[in-house]
Amino acid sequence: MPADQDKVRALIGDFLVRANKGADGWTDQSPLWGDGLGLDSLEAAELSAMLEDEFGTDPFSAGDEFPETVSDILAFYAAVKTE
Amino acid sequence: MILLLEAAAADAPDRTAVVTPERAPTYGALLDDARRIAASLQRRGITRFAVAEPDAAWVMGLLAGAALAGAEPCQFQPDTPAAELATQAAALGHTVVVTRRQDLHDLVRDGGHDSGQLEALRPEDLADDAAATAASAAAAQSDSPGETGAQPLMIRTTGTTGLPKAARHDWRVLTQTVAGIRPAPTQRWLLAYGLHQFAGIQILLHVVASQATLVAPFPRQPKDGLEAMIRDGVTCVSATPTYWRFLLTEARSRRAELPPLEQITLGGEASPADLLDDLRTTFPGARISQVYASTELGSITSVRDGRPGIAVADLFSEENPTANVRVTDGELWVRPAAGMLGYAGQPNEATAPGEWRPTGDLVEIVDGRVLFRGRTSEVINVGGVKVHPLPVEERIAALDSVAAARVFGRPSKLTGFIVAAEIVPAPDAGADHEQIRTDVNGAVSDLPRAWQPRHLSFVEAIETKGGKTVRGTAR
Repeated sequence: MPADQDKVRALIGDFLVRANKGADGWTDQSPLWGDGLGLDSLEAAELSAMLEDEFGTDPFSAGDEFPETVSDILAFYAAVKTE
Repeated sequence: MILLLEAAAADAPDRTAVVTPERAPTYGALLDDARRIAASLQRRGITRFAVAEPDAAWVMGLLAGAALAGAEPCQFQPDTPAAELATQAAALGHTVVVTRRQDLHDLVRDGGHDSGQLEALRPEDLADDAAATAASAAAAQSDSPGETGAQPLMIRTTGTTGLPKAARHDWRVLTQTVAGIRPAPTQRWLLAYGLHQFAGIQILLHVVASQATLVAPFPRQPKDGLEAMIRDGVTCVSATPTYWRFLLTEARSRRAELPPLEQITLGGEASPADLLDDLRTTFPGARISQVYASTELGSITSVRDGRPGIAVADLFSEENPTANVRVTDGELWVRPAAGMLGYAGQPNEATAPGEWRPTGDLVEIVDGRVLFRGRTSEVINVGGVKVHPLPVEERIAALDSVAAARVFGRPSKLTGFIVAAEIVPAPDAGADHEQIRTDVNGAVSDLPRAWQPRHLSFVEAIETKGGKTVRGTAR
């Protein structure tokens, strides 16, 4: 089943709450690293596992390059949807 | 083994040796079984055989009979699928399997297996062998001891960290560990292990040496053990910490009234402090021992002070030169006194007396105690940080909202592995998953970040093998 974009956003929101990064203050354009969401490798690995559990695949594990923004994650699942 | 049985049968022939769901033979009856089985094995020319039998009374007769005949028995987990068992038996060179399982007899009869020549016998075929009965009677009249030469025994490892192997032992070596045991006729020991496991053989030897009674349910899941404890008046229990944890959880969920045990033994895994406290509170009159042993190395040492780990004072040192345990580079080393002869198909290991061997158990010395941190094969490499699963698991399992936990490595493209945990919620705690997540986060907050679980899943039961929690399996 293709991943619903709102479900992906909701899961990212849940992850950010669990990671104590707050429920608000992020958008699709937010960078995942650095001054954006500020994920480190352990947090990204946690998000990767959550996405894989929910949708069966995830952009951190499947691609050659890691996503850089929330939009990249959404685009990954949008691409899955159109395949 | 056979000498211990002969001594018990001479001293207490009418005492119940073992209680199983099917029967409860006395020591006298068991010795009769063993003698007939030995005579039948000799008459048939059987020098080694596989065993797939859940009933401990039959197994005891087969083991003792084999020891008397000098034949090598090798037990398999009784519920192993027939084709798999036939293949594994053939791989170890067995041509005879003793079992009451009809599916195995059918498989062998129909040739529907990839196991070459394999004959299936029932234990009754050996015990009721008319031609052997006369020889058995003659042996019973003999004044000579039942054992003369080698008394081989093959024990397969539980394979918690890989494929099972088979270790070759000799009863004469194994019984050295029970040489000083005095009769304790009122003791009734629960068999929480299978007799195909080294720990099960240790319990068997202890029970027969002390002329006590073995209570052997089958199946022997913690709920079965709990029922047997209550129904059959068990006074002593030896089990893995994982088994104990589930038995206590089962008892509480049923509001069961537990019998007042006199002896509690833990082995096979590290014993967490919270579990030891729980056992001490639940069974205030019980002695609590932790044994350190393995299928390959035999029985090494025991700890009787009720605290986790081993006292540093008990390690080998100039002041304690007879100790057989030491720590080298964070790993426990031992010098076995009653270990195996070697693996199946391999020559005897050239282990000189007193030779030190690594165990694969990682340890850390904290406040005068040698604490177990997991197996070398269980270490989780999180971005170059080596994480030992046990300290993480112990913190989680100690939570009131958690009945049991398993910590292992989950592959990650970003960090190699992340620490993951499976959790069985405590049935009566009333905590939802989010509350348990919060509890877990609090419990591991003092650990380095790489050690903290990044993935929690909630399950109904923890995967075990041989009563031990299976770790190190990335899934």
